[in-house]
Amino acid sequence: MTASNDSNDLEALFDSIAADFQPTPAITPSAPVAASSDGDSDDLQALFDSVSADSFAKANPEVVPASPMVESGETWPRQEAVFNRIGHMARLLHDTLGQLGYDKLIEKTVSALPDAKDRLAYVANLTEQAACRVLNATDIACPLVDDIDRGAHDLGERWDRVFANQLTGPEFKQLAIETRGFLKDQLPEKTKATHAQLTEIMMAQDFQDLTGQVIKKIVALAQDLESGLMNVLLEVLPDTRRTEEVTNLMNGPVVNAEGRTDVVVNQEQVDDLLDSLGF
Amino acid sequence: MAADPKMKFLVVDDFSTMRRIVRNLLKELGFTNVDEAEDGAIALQKLQGGGFEFVVTDWNMPNMDGLTLLQTIRATPNLKHLPVLMITAEAKKENIIAAAQAGASGYIVKPFTAGTLSEKLNKIFEKMGQA
Repeated sequence: MTASNDSNDLEALFDSIAADFQPTPAITPSAPVAASSDGDSDDLQALFDSVSADSFAKANPEVVPASPMVESGETWPRQEAVFNRIGHMARLLHDTLGQLGYDKLIEKTVSALPDAKDRLAYVANLTEQAACRVLNATDIACPLVDDIDRGAHDLGERWDRVFANQLTGPEFKQLAIETRGFLKDQLPEKTKATHAQLTEIMMAQDFQDLTGQVIKKIVALAQDLESGLMNVLLEVLPDTRRTEEVTNLMNGPVVNAEGRTDVVVNQEQVDDLLDSLGF
Repeated sequence: MAADPKMKFLVVDDFSTMRRIVRNLLKELGFTNVDEAEDGAIALQKLQGGGFEFVVTDWNMPNMDGLTLLQTIRATPNLKHLPVLMITAEAKKENIIAAAQAGASGYIVKPFTAGTLSEKLNKIFEKMGQA
């Protein structure tokens, strides 16, 4: 359970506090005891206030000679120290974040992320719809074009036989009627229907305008976040950790291959790599 | 192409759009006997059911990814002979090497063309014919 030194220290500290804890009615009115009772936010606030007051008292001992610290000083020296430290750390963290503007950043991030999430879901939705529309259109158009191809091929072969004098009079008459029907009815009908599907494919690209706008906004948000978080990281991350690369095998598409030697940019390079390895 | 047009394909990808595109391209090439699976785990179930002769799979999928699927196929006696073609957006050299070492029959990076798919399939059929 306590693998690291940190937790050992914490446990020792906890034990020492627990051992010291001997509730006596006389002490209850003092601030630290009130704070150590069941903790809701009021109690936390009280703790924070009392710790602040204590540190103020310590910093200016002559101002408050009869502070709670003195009253409970004999029974509570260690708890005092712990509460004091925690209070100071909380205050320090709060102040630092505030000074650096990170409180604003965090606030902005918290409100911006759900929005970005919705926007990205919207993009995914629109692109999927577009893909479906296009695939549906090709599903409809392909058989039409195949029909035209087959019809033309069939008539062409029969006309070849006309030119080879292989057709009888009635057969020729029948071919003429069918050819007329193909040219006047079937062909215009099918090209019109194919054209409608081509228009559908064109219209399905209207997502580009909408997703483009949404993505631009998210890119701007990501840039804000990146610069903010980068500053935090630069301040807290040891030098040695900064150059560590994230390595795994599921990275998705390479968005920017410029200057990278660890990725391929086209099928040719895949084939070359495999060839060079003897696969 | 010497391949049997009745050859049964399994197309594995978590995006239905990509499954549809691969299915359509296979149809263009004369292969109409195509089934689909949306991740490696479902693919493996279908493969165990038998009857499949060719696997086309994506890499990055939930539940079971394409590499694990490939490794599992190669480690399963009644499946290990199956040709497995990977079609994936993963373009790091170590990905390609890992796939090749795991026994992939071919590797296509997305975005890809109908020509590339046809070429890779033919290459695999050629090798199968020699074997």
